[in-house]
Amino acid sequence: MAHSQDLIRNFCIIAHIDHGKSTLADRMMELTDTVQLRDMEDQLLDTMDIERERGITIKATAVRMFYKHKDGNTYMFNLIDTPGHVDFTYEVSRALAACEGAVLVVDATQGIEAQTLANVYLALENGLEIMPVINKVDLPSARPDHVIKEIEDEIGLPAENAPQISAKTGLNVEQVLEQIVELIPAPKGDDDAPLKALIFDSIYDNYKGALSYVRIMEGTVKEGMRIRSMATGNEFDVTEVGVFTPSLKPTDALHAGEVGYIAASIKSVAETKVGDTITDANNPAKEPLEGYKQANPMVFCGIYPADGAHYDDLRDALDKLVLNDASLSYEPETSIALGFGFRCGFLGLLHMEIIQERLEREFDLDLVTTAPSVIYRVMTTSGEELMIDNPSNLPPVTEIDYMEEPMVTANIITPTDYIGTIMELCQDKRGIFKDMNYLDENRAKLIYELPLNEIIYDFFDSLKSRSRGYASFDYELKEYLKSDLVKLDFLLNGDMCDALSTIVHKDKAYSKGRAVAEKLREVIPRQQFEIPIQAAIGGKIIARETVKAVRKDVLAKCYGGDITRKKKLLEKQKEGKKRMRQIGTVELPSEAFMSVLRIN
Amino acid sequence: MSGIYIHIPFCIRKCKYCDFVSYADNPLVADYLYSLLKEIRLSKENIDKIDKNEYDTVFIGGGTPSVMPLKGIESIMNELSKFFNISNNAEISIECNPGTVDLSKLQEYKLSGINRLSLGLQSADDEILKRIGRIHTYAQYVESLDNARKAGFDNINTDIMHGLPRQTKTIYLDTIDKVCKLGVEHISSYSLILEENTLLYNEVMAGKEMLPDEDETYDMQDDGIKKLAEYGYIRYEVSNYSKHGRECRHNINYWENGEYLGLGLNSHSAMKLDEWTRWNNTSNLKNYIECLNKGKLPRENIEKISKNDEMFETVMVGFRMVNGIDISAFKKRYGISFEEVYESEIKELIGKHWLEINDERAKLTQKGMDMMNSALMCFIK
Repeated sequence: MAHSQDLIRNFCIIAHIDHGKSTLADRMMELTDTVQLRDMEDQLLDTMDIERERGITIKATAVRMFYKHKDGNTYMFNLIDTPGHVDFTYEVSRALAACEGAVLVVDATQGIEAQTLANVYLALENGLEIMPVINKVDLPSARPDHVIKEIEDEIGLPAENAPQISAKTGLNVEQVLEQIVELIPAPKGDDDAPLKALIFDSIYDNYKGALSYVRIMEGTVKEGMRIRSMATGNEFDVTEVGVFTPSLKPTDALHAGEVGYIAASIKSVAETKVGDTITDANNPAKEPLEGYKQANPMVFCGIYPADGAHYDDLRDALDKLVLNDASLSYEPETSIALGFGFRCGFLGLLHMEIIQERLEREFDLDLVTTAPSVIYRVMTTSGEELMIDNPSNLPPVTEIDYMEEPMVTANIITPTDYIGTIMELCQDKRGIFKDMNYLDENRAKLIYELPLNEIIYDFFDSLKSRSRGYASFDYELKEYLKSDLVKLDFLLNGDMCDALSTIVHKDKAYSKGRAVAEKLREVIPRQQFEIPIQAAIGGKIIARETVKAVRKDVLAKCYGGDITRKKKLLEKQKEGKKRMRQIGTVELPSEAFMSVLRIN
Repeated sequence: MSGIYIHIPFCIRKCKYCDFVSYADNPLVADYLYSLLKEIRLSKENIDKIDKNEYDTVFIGGGTPSVMPLKGIESIMNELSKFFNISNNAEISIECNPGTVDLSKLQEYKLSGINRLSLGLQSADDEILKRIGRIHTYAQYVESLDNARKAGFDNINTDIMHGLPRQTKTIYLDTIDKVCKLGVEHISSYSLILEENTLLYNEVMAGKEMLPDEDETYDMQDDGIKKLAEYGYIRYEVSNYSKHGRECRHNINYWENGEYLGLGLNSHSAMKLDEWTRWNNTSNLKNYIECLNKGKLPRENIEKISKNDEMFETVMVGFRMVNGIDISAFKKRYGISFEEVYESEIKELIGKHWLEINDERAKLTQKGMDMMNSALMCFIK
């Protein structure tokens, strides 16, 4: 039996990091007896270790709860947990599109923070009802009245009736459940119309294949049905449908308005992409749901096993990760310095960090990664057009007619106090000022055109530190523009190290060359001879540093009879040596390759 | 040769650079002594094989053994000679820190058979002593040394260090001058190793304390070696110097990869049982005491060492000695010659002028000693 649509509420929670999103979700699951207390683990919805540790949500997840309201009815709640980072804006927008409402959690001690605003606006764009909740009112420094005024002034939402809760202690969380019923609209969809299911995420399950997490907008889906992806035209037979309790639980069918998963022996998540519409192959919908986009990688870097012998392990790990992450791309490449590895493409810098971390933790791999790059368009003198995502593949200067780099339009929302310093930052990153307007007396929106290669390093971090965390930032890829770019190379004891090469704007080449050379001097251990480090553009040396020769390398300490410890130290040192990369005569530790990245 | 090591894991206060197992001001000293005596007895009863040896050296180290109240050390020595066969001319050492020994304790040590003393000075600069958390001054060291001589000790070591916070070469060489002039028989000079999880590590990381850089520390060591030689102290191991014939026999046994029995908290042992075997005692004080209360030996990580590993260990510790490895002893022990086992490694190191080899000994050159870790890494198979 279908649950009456009037008694369904689909919503997400929008909150700044640490404002209590996951804790509130946990309390709601407890109050609705969705999970037993004994199964409670903090932050139930964030299943990856990285999510729990960083306090961020990377993958969207969902949970179904049943809530008995004082009106006597039992309501079905579907809470969809969304990621919250600029890299995943598109995924967030699809998860929001699957909901009718959003619970906006604001910390009563902190007030609204700018990152939240971007997601609130995204929710408003998707026509969601926003329901404010003031959290952490149990803390001595809580200022709920002030925060209510802030919500009303800054977002323009009435907030005088917002529940004042403590997700930690459970205070007034019941009110949140009541208001979800009262304020968030029920879904509207025709059970008998042709199927339209919005995919808001997909994960790979070892037994069931790729699972599509869906919101049924129209129609009904059940086991045995033949379904079709409206983006690709691929068809599959449904082997199972089910809901999130939060663990997967099979059901007979999913009806219009409901949230659940579809299994159809799909081989990888690449075939069930976020934003796609699933329909009935035998009775297809006329139009797909709006808003589907192909998510293309924008940032590339080389990933290599620290020990060349683990190449196969790295390949297996990437094969597995991509089953679960359609936006990750990779293809084999080789480097003189690093041997065999992969050129991988990511949605953004956070995505890149997450993949690296997952490779290292979930697959126990030691990696060497090269500096991230964007895709450059190169016109050769022979009239050929090349797309270059690896500096090493750049043709010789004499064969290059001109080069173009990808530009983005960046929207930055900031408290007015930080406008000056943020404009400075954008200028420093070769930004072109486009527009500025005041959202209200305290906040402004800046629009800049920026080269993508300037924002993939540390732009986000700089923005945050310059604005004390208040500025938020979003970007959209625009066209390619001609640019004066050069390849910056590094030589160690006279040998070029291809993995350290980067493409930079000519005006920045000198300062970057000097900074990287200095950094390399710090991270390269002394060896038995002096090592000159040179930065070069074309054949021209622009900076030079020297690593002095080693003098002594001996354990002076006496560890008593603990010979095992001494032996282990040596073995570790030998292992470290094995993991060093040989560039000509020079041995280079993995950190050296990252030093190109970490330059301010 | 074989030795016995006895660990006393207590100190008045832990030095800022120390990451050894030791407890400051612990109320369990009495329980510990009781357990240690029990371990001595149990070791004898449980493993007969251990008693096949006549022990040539005993070393009571710490921590600070001299924080043991009066008569504590004496009872350890009594128990030891009751259950183990200690040779008549055994070298029996104890570590003491100035500020924890007076004449009566030193007399007790002497009477109980101890014949070698190791005094921890570290630096003759009071300012530096304070910085590294030592509890004594240089004057107190001089007083302790004076008392030791009065008590009849004629074989005394002093530990000093280089690479200490704000230490300059001049300060370090001045410490050497002072100690040498006092005429001790043996000097150990270790370079400070900044270990994680020590107070000093945290201070340095927080920028509150400054260490001399690598090159300054090497200069200290190099000039120190010269100065010590001028006073007649011969370097016989990476960090050890002595007057002729006063090398520490207990440590030489370690460096010859000989057998030793460790007793007490977190002590290590190596014995030829069926095979070459290593183990250590628990490093948890409560577990140590409880285990012995139940009549069990607190041993952990009992590891049989393969012949290959045993040979490597022999090389690893042997090369620490200026005289290197006795190659006829090597052949006798393993039934195969050193040159045969490590043919390619020897070739490589001789090519680098890091190794010298003759009919009797294989030893590292000065350069090879400096680059010992790199040299040893060649030998790891």
